[in-house]
Order: sequence, then C-alpha cells, then structure tokens
Amino acid sequence: MNPSPDETEAAASRLRETVAAQFGRSLHIRTLDTGSCAVCEQEIRLLTAPHYDLHRLGFFFTPAPRHADLLLVTGPMVRAFDVAARKTYEAMPGPKVVVATGACALGGVYPKDPFVHGDVGQVLPVDVWIPGCPPSPLALLHGLGVAVGRLAEKTPGLTFIADGGAA
Amino acid sequence: MPLWFARGLRRGVVTTRYPARPDESAALLPTPPAFRPDQLTREAADLMVAACPGPALSRRDDTLIFDVGACTACGRCAQVAPRVVSSSGEFELATTARSALIKKIPIRGGGR
Amino acid sequence: MTAVEQRTTETPDPLVSQLVGLGGLEVKDGSATRAAVTVRMLPETLEAATHSLAGIPGIRLADMFGDNGSDAPTLRLVWALEEGYLLIETEIEDGQYPPLSDIAPAAFVEECEIYEQFGIRPATGKPLNRLMLPPHAGADFPRLGHAPARPPEEVHAPHTVGGQAFEFPFGPVRQVGVESLYYGLVTSGEEIVDVYLFTWHKHRGVEWRLRGLTPGEGIFFAERAEGLSAVAVGWAFAAAAEAALGVTPPPAAARTRAVALELERLYNHAAAMAALCQATGLTVGQSAAEIALERLLRVNAAAFGHRYLFGVIEPGGTARAPDAEVLRRDLPAAYGELRRAADALLSTNSFVDRLEACGILTAEQARRLGLVGPVARAAGLAMDTRHDGRRPRSGSADGGPYTGHPVAVVTKDGGDVFARFQVMLGEAAESVRLIGEFLDEGTAAERTSLPRGGGHGLGWAESSRGEVLAWVALDADGRITRARLRPGSVRNWRGFDDACRSQNVFTDIPIIEASFWLTAAGLAR
Repeated sequence: MNPSPDETEAAASRLRETVAAQFGRSLHIRTLDTGSCAVCEQEIRLLTAPHYDLHRLGFFFTPAPRHADLLLVTGPMVRAFDVAARKTYEAMPGPKVVVATGACALGGVYPKDPFVHGDVGQVLPVDVWIPGCPPSPLALLHGLGVAVGRLAEKTPGLTFIADGGAA
Repeated sequence: MPLWFARGLRRGVVTTRYPARPDESAALLPTPPAFRPDQLTREAADLMVAACPGPALSRRDDTLIFDVGACTACGRCAQVAPRVVSSSGEFELATTARSALIKKIPIRGGGR
Repeated sequence: MTAVEQRTTETPDPLVSQLVGLGGLEVKDGSATRAAVTVRMLPETLEAATHSLAGIPGIRLADMFGDNGSDAPTLRLVWALEEGYLLIETEIEDGQYPPLSDIAPAAFVEECEIYEQFGIRPATGKPLNRLMLPPHAGADFPRLGHAPARPPEEVHAPHTVGGQAFEFPFGPVRQVGVESLYYGLVTSGEEIVDVYLFTWHKHRGVEWRLRGLTPGEGIFFAERAEGLSAVAVGWAFAAAAEAALGVTPPPAAARTRAVALELERLYNHAAAMAALCQATGLTVGQSAAEIALERLLRVNAAAFGHRYLFGVIEPGGTARAPDAEVLRRDLPAAYGELRRAADALLSTNSFVDRLEACGILTAEQARRLGLVGPVARAAGLAMDTRHDGRRPRSGSADGGPYTGHPVAVVTKDGGDVFARFQVMLGEAAESVRLIGEFLDEGTAAERTSLPRGGGHGLGWAESSRGEVLAWVALDADGRITRARLRPGSVRNWRGFDDACRSQNVFTDIPIIEASFWLTAAGLAR
C-alpha cells in the first residue's frame, strides 16, 4: 500500500523536474471542492487577501482548467462527484500538479463507504499532500512552495516524538 | 474612491513576509501532537487510539502509528493522555510523499 | 414507542390543549424542558392540525423530517412558537401522508429529502426532486429508511415556468475558491426566469454516519456538517443530546458556548461583506473586509485555539474556555477594522447602488417559505432564537446563557441585498457587546457528565445564517439511532430562487448569493 522509499524518491524527483522545467516563476491554480465542509475554501480564498497576497509569490488563481497548472483539491471525494472531478483534471493540459489539501482529502475524516471514497487519491493522482483541518493560509503557502520546488519539505525529518519538550 | 485611497495609505501594509521570514501568527495555529515515548504505555496508546475520531492513530505491538495526514489536531488524544501528548508546533507539513506522513512512535512507558 | 407521561406539575400549553381537542393524540414530554413538547397524532388529524397551526401568527414550520417507526415510517414536524417548539409526530402507513398544503411551499426541500430517504410522500401526487442521493443511487444505496417505490422525478423547481426561456446548467465546479454547487439557470437571455439547485454531489451522508455513535463521538461530524457554522450546529447537536438525557451544561460553560457562537457570527458576517465586495467588483472593499476577517480569525485562534472554533463544544459542556484577557484585548481592534470597512462601504455610492433593490424578498415570501436568520430579518420578520422563548438552552430551567442578556433583534424592511447587509452589520455590533457581557459574567471549560440511558431531544442555536435545529434519539446504551441536523442553509436556500427571480440578471446572482451567505455543505450534509 505504501510506496517504497525508492518509488517515493522517484516521484518527488519527477515532480521537481516537471516543475523546474515548465512552471518557471509563475503558476496558475484551479480549486476543486469534492465535498468539503466549506472551511477549507474560506482559507483558500484568504490566500489572495492582503495578509497573505499569493500574487507576490507568482501564484494566481484561474477559473479556467485550460489555463491551470495546479489543481488544489479539498474534500473527501464524494462518489457522486467522481465524474466532475475527473473532467476537471482531464481538462487541464499537462504538465500539471495535483495538491490534496485538508484532512478530508488525505483520508482523515471520512472512511471509505458508499457515499465517499474517503480520500482524493482514490480518484486523482496526487502529487502533494497538505495536512490540516483546515490547513491555514500559511500552511497552504508552504504547500504551494513545496509543490513548485521552491520550499524544502520538513515532514520527512519530523519525528513527532517529544523528548523533554523538543519535537 | 479618494476615500479608499487615503484609507489604504493610512492603513499600511499587513502582508506577511512568509515564506521568506517566519510569521508570528503561526504560533496561534493548532498543530498535530508530539508524543513522549517514555510516558507512553500500551494502555495510554489504546486510550488515544479509541479517542481519535479518525484513522490518525493505531497501535501495532509496541509501536504507536501516527498518520499526520489524517490528523485534525482536535486534541482528544491530549485529553485522554495528557502526560504523553504535547503540541508539536509544526504547521509546515506539506509533502510529496504520502508515506512521509506516517510516523512510528515507540512505546517505552513500560508497565502500568 | 416510549410510554407517555404528562408532567402533573405543569399545566398543558393551551395550544397543545387545542390540538388535543382535535382528538386522537397523546402528549409525550420526552425532553427535560418545557421549551420543546412532543405530541403524537394520527394521520387523519394531521391536516387539520397543520392548517390551524399555520394560521396562527407568529408560528412557523421550522423543520420536517422522517424516521423509522416501529411499524411504519414516522413523520415529524417541528413548529416554532414564541415560547418554544412543538414537535408533532405521526406514523405513516401506505407511503403517503396528507397534502399539508399550508406548509408545502416552505417544506418542499424537506418533502423531497423525506421521500428519497423514507419512501413516504404527500398525497398530492406532485412531482418531487431527487435531492441528496446521486442519479445512480439504486434501491440498495444506503438510506436512513427505505427507498421509495418509484424514484423521484426530475422536476427542478416547485413552480411552473412560462414564456420563451431556455435552461442551462452551471457548475458544480464553479469560480475559484467557492464550494461546488450546481445551478440550473432558466433564462430568456439576461434575465433570470428561474434558478434551482442540486447539491447531491456534496452529500456525505452525515446523518447516516451518526447512527451508532455516542454524542461525544458524533459531535466531531456534527461540527463538520457545515464547518462555517461549527459552533452553532455543534451546540444544537450537543443540546439535543443533553435534552435527550435530561442534563444541562454548567452555566459558565453555557456562556463559553455563547461567546464562541458570537465570534462565529462576527467572522461569518465579515466574510459575507468580503464576498459582497468581490461580487460587486469593489476590490478595495474586498481587501478591507478581508483584513477584518483575517484579524477576527486570529482572535478566534488566540482565544479558543482554532481559527474556525472547532472543538470548543462537547456534549455536556465545553472542552475549551476562551482566553478572556486576550479576547478583551484583541477583539475591539479586529471589530474596529470591520466597522471602518463597513462605514467606508456605506459611503461608497457605487457600492450601495448595486445592492439596493437587488434580490428582493418580501415579508410574505419569507414567511411563506419559512426563512430564518438575517435573510428573514431583512425582510421585516422579527425572529431570533437568542431573543425569544426559544433561547438556546438544554433542558435547563434557567433558560440558558442569553437569559439576562437581551439581544436586540435587528430587522429592516427592504428585503433586498442592502437590507441584509445592514442587518449583518447591526448583528456584528450586538455580538461584540454580548461577548463583553458574557466574559464579565465568567466563562469556563466544564461539562456535566452524560448519564446512562436513552431518550430523544431537540436542540437549537442561532447561527450566522439563522436558526439551526438538531434532533437526536439515543438508545438504552446512549448510542444514536436517529440524528437530524437542520442548519440554517437548509431553510434559506429555499428562498434563493425567489430572491433571484425578482427582476434580476445574471450578474446579480453572486451578489444575492453573498448576501444570503449560505453553504452547499450545510444543505447537502
């Protein structure tokens, strides 16, 4: 079920090459709600608000999948939404990056059942995962930075083990 | 429009410097737990697994398996095992490998 | 069914006596509070009872939902009175219940939901939409009850459309950063002839998933039914469980809930203001509102540990208390941002012009459709569950945290987008005042432990979108057999197409949607 370390490194490496070669210094983002509780969307909307100002980093939102480079996906992938999700993904020309954001999208809230797949990765090929409930705008900025290879990932080095206070 | 222009100038800039510089508002954010292996017993682990509303925590023998990606930072594990759990303070959790979010915490609390 | 006991210490409500006079019913007082009385009726008397209730001023239908009875599905109607709620339940055999034409306009959404979940429908034979279950849902798709014998038809709007018009679908994938939502737009060109909504692509089956959980397990999902109303829906759900078990949160915990609820109201109204500016193309206004919104969310995080106030409420009380010092220090400045942005907007004629006479709902429409919250108040209906006898409480004699803190109910007459904007601004000022009063009286993170046993109960709270209702039935092990969640969005989306149809064009739709500030998640659950 879990990819091997080699597969993981290969996937990350492909992503870095794609991004470095194609996306240069500006990136267009399309958002996709697969059944969220509406809070993840509110944090995403704040990315273009004055406190965060996504545009200063060269990221822009676009409503047109044809212009989009990155698909930012929320929600547990309600099964009734499958077709719309695939159509949105397929309408984006390659190269493209899929970012699953929020605990629902990462399989943390709803189990797989007749209503939902439980995580976005069951239907779309996810490249980057952003935890949180909801991920704050800062966490989203970090995730977008990781997605374009501008920011280093911290997660592989984190242990979540507290020895006398240090994580 | 002059009203808005003047307001904007007086207001000044509120934009964060993140990611170039840290943002102090990050200290307000809820973050996933960190666990103290020496305080962690099998009983405490099982209590936390039961309290977790999702699949973020599970136990295999003497290892607590923590899926950070599934964590909502709800705090229920901290409520049932306060000596074991502290706040990690980590919010920069994005990753290109889902498996990197699965952490193993050794259960070293011994008896009791 | 549970045995009936009439509390001898209480005289029956005169209204209930009147209903008793219709014959064939029992009074069940399953909840610990006088504020919610349950009455059981025979189907034959339901029509007459509905007709007489609907004719009394000040009484409205607040919810209608189905359940599994011992022999046949049960239909429950929740009526909101000045002093409290009246639940009428009836067992429906043969798949049909009386036409209930008095409430049919308001209850269309609920009728559709009941039909696809329990297979019972009104005896009118009128077509009902598929609402929450997707097109491929066959008879074996999980439901709360039994599948209907005949699948619902595809009639989209509960009224006919005439003249030269064509229809086109919009969504569910829409503009950037908004929820998925499917509109069917019927137009003759630019003018909106009709608009209907589908939300089955967001239906997560929350009520289905709550079955078998304890209230403590269930609140995690209840909060996320409509995350932007996490406090309100969580409060209503917790209060329903508390009423079922006959417990009351400690008063300081109840005040904590109220502080969180008012903070939720504040940030939602700020977000609605930002959305109004975005919809009217006033980018500077949007930025100003977003600065206020971000500051309010940081106040939430500083005070309660979560920007959207998740995890504050638990059945029996509250898990967290606000940091009162931080709240007193930071809230005035954050509210000041909101107030200054609002004042600037009110002085911007191009903005105000855009909102006036847009998306008008009359008081008659709001009443007929059973609307709640700022949408209803902006049409002149003076209702607010914090103010009247229905103050949020959970089986307590003292009346809950708003007792002793009267809320000024903000109403306007215009019924347009501008009136809704003004109501929200008035409510925001009230919220800040109330938070100060609750902090002065004292807040705490405490809970009353839930006793063993079962029961059923009704809970409610006034979200930023309007009245939220929840009803919970627990078995003898304290596990949920039926949980009903009715966020404000379920009632108020019902008024959206009427508001869009009153002489509006396409570009008005986002403005009207912002002024309603509902969610697709709250309707779809």
